[in-house]
Amino acid sequence: MKRQGPIILAFAIGMLMLIQFFTPAAFFKEAYNTILDWKQVVLGFTFILGTWSLIRYHYIKINRKRENWQYSYVTLAGLAITVLAALIWKTAEGPYPWLFNNVQVPMQSTMFSLLAFFVASASYRAFRARTFHATLLLIAGALVMLGRVPIGSYLSGSIFGVKISLVAISDWVLNVPNAAAKRGIMIGVGLGMTATAIKIILGIEQTYLGKTD
Amino acid sequence: MAFYDRMMSIDRRIIFLSVGLAVAIPIIVPLGFPVQISEETMNFYREMAALKPGDIILLSFDYEGDVMAELNPMAVAVLKHAFSRGIKVIAITTYAGGTGIAERLLTEAANRYGKTYGVDYVFLGYNPDWSGTMLRLGESFKATYPTDQYGKSVYEIPIMKNVETYRDIALVVSISGSALSEYWAIWAGGRYGARVISGNTAIQAILIYPYYKAGQIPGFLGGLKGAAEYEKLINAPGMGIRGMDAQSVAHALMLAFILVGNVGYFLFRRAKRREQK
Amino acid sequence: MAVTHDLGIWVAGILTLAIFSFLYKDNPFYRFAEHLLVGVSAGYYLVQYFFSAAYKKLWVPVFQEGHHVLLVGGILGLLMFTRLFRRTEWISRYPVAFYIAAWAGYVIPSYIQVRILQQAQDTMFNPRGMPLGEALSALILLIGVSTTLIYFYFSAEHRGPLKTLSKVGITFLMIGFGATFGYNVMGRVSLLIGRFQFLFTDWLGIVH
Repeated sequence: MKRQGPIILAFAIGMLMLIQFFTPAAFFKEAYNTILDWKQVVLGFTFILGTWSLIRYHYIKINRKRENWQYSYVTLAGLAITVLAALIWKTAEGPYPWLFNNVQVPMQSTMFSLLAFFVASASYRAFRARTFHATLLLIAGALVMLGRVPIGSYLSGSIFGVKISLVAISDWVLNVPNAAAKRGIMIGVGLGMTATAIKIILGIEQTYLGKTD
Repeated sequence: MAFYDRMMSIDRRIIFLSVGLAVAIPIIVPLGFPVQISEETMNFYREMAALKPGDIILLSFDYEGDVMAELNPMAVAVLKHAFSRGIKVIAITTYAGGTGIAERLLTEAANRYGKTYGVDYVFLGYNPDWSGTMLRLGESFKATYPTDQYGKSVYEIPIMKNVETYRDIALVVSISGSALSEYWAIWAGGRYGARVISGNTAIQAILIYPYYKAGQIPGFLGGLKGAAEYEKLINAPGMGIRGMDAQSVAHALMLAFILVGNVGYFLFRRAKRREQK
Repeated sequence: MAVTHDLGIWVAGILTLAIFSFLYKDNPFYRFAEHLLVGVSAGYYLVQYFFSAAYKKLWVPVFQEGHHVLLVGGILGLLMFTRLFRRTEWISRYPVAFYIAAWAGYVIPSYIQVRILQQAQDTMFNPRGMPLGEALSALILLIGVSTTLIYFYFSAEHRGPLKTLSKVGITFLMIGFGATFGYNVMGRVSLLIGRFQFLFTDWLGIVH
């Protein structure tokens, strides 16, 4: 019941969703649509559970006075105010979208923009042409960095009468060797995910069920 | 400290300050670098330009505030291009945080072009489960989204009247900050034959090339540069074009730092070899 | 050329600077902003999750449109909450198994079709009617894809020709990673441009 039940359910649902791809039978079509609807609801509730876990984490942090516990009040207050704003003034206008536009979005985007500084610092420190392959990586990176911005269009010339532009070279790098590497990885990942999916349906892969009893 | 050591160990605060200035100065004092159109963007534009007035596109805001600097210019340009040509828009988002962004951009564009909500465009909102949503849309738009973002039944929304599946949609446009464009190509394109084009963050765009080459995504915009190119094509300069000078200068600066580090490294290696001899 | 009087933009501007202050070092302003971001985001998401899952996908179809079968989805969703208690935690395995298996079922044919077969088909070398340059690129693409796959083939030891081919594969991978790095830099810089545009245009009014 605790372990075999979910495995049997996984087999039944997995097989059903697999078979429906190959048959136009009404039963399978109906089951497919219903399962997709259920699946969306399940995930929605899972996200709600995730938020509940966040609240519990900060509540415990305050209760046990863990390091920087005072800031947990800020998190919980932010959460409560946003939810209350939606409940009182609805979501279309008022404080709820105001908080989103003026608090959440600016900070979210600034947080990610910080990485520009760290990428610059890290690449300066780590990018060294130590080996043939490291040099290749460096050259490809430089070609793309220059070729994909407007400044790259100034960098062109001719060798033995043949006109060469940096933009054209970077386009070629992206469309041929880069696409080849990415496609190789993609096919490999595709095969791996297909194999994992088969193992899940057959009950060979059970790690998603958590620890054993 | 030897000269090469100094070349290899520039203080990170100097790097941070230089990057900040390299981005800030060209924004304040524009340099006007020309924007050259790439083939991928041209194909994205062609797909949009081939639509006829009255056609309906599904515009999916597959991102949140974190990457809006790259993707908002794309979404704005797509809306301008669509609304200015009488193309109708069904908008959705696959991220909970995408709702606020989509609402703002849709309203701004609709006000500018005098479009009516429910008739010329609709926002169906957020739905949990990416792949489940994309597949379910292939069977029934109305079952996937029983109401719009504001709780109104889709049966009461005029634009939704004749929309049942992807067959009633001329084009799916995914503006994505993650692998969502790939998923649209797999589920909407692969399973249901929908035509999918995408606008992607630069980080994601690099992974789109195999799909682009195979024709699964016939056109895409890569990063802010892609947005700038598209803005140029539709003759609507916006945040994309305005950002290109800073983008160029910052790239040149970062490469200069990498070059300095490598020259230092070569000098260091030469000095080591001499010492050993 | 004037500083805005919009309170919202002032709040956004100050919070932007609080996050940027991390570049100097970790400090109370940054920590406050960071925790506020987590709280407000969680609140925003919670409302959206609840509206989309509980109202749009459950309440409307079940109680307004009469699709009672969707109640099962709601029950499965509620079972996720059994995770909160150690004694009932095992029950949540049912919705998890349901979700994962449903995904696994439809992933198999679609991934084989889109990510394997169609990609392999497009890689096949067919130079008929192609200009020389394009044919050469198509050949390089075929070599690149094949050798990259060989590099990731671990069922046999990489010796002899396999070793040589996998080395060719690494070469392609390195070019791919280099290109990824270039695009990564591009993306990060774009995000910074976005914030500076906000600060200089919307907030301080220095740029129009």
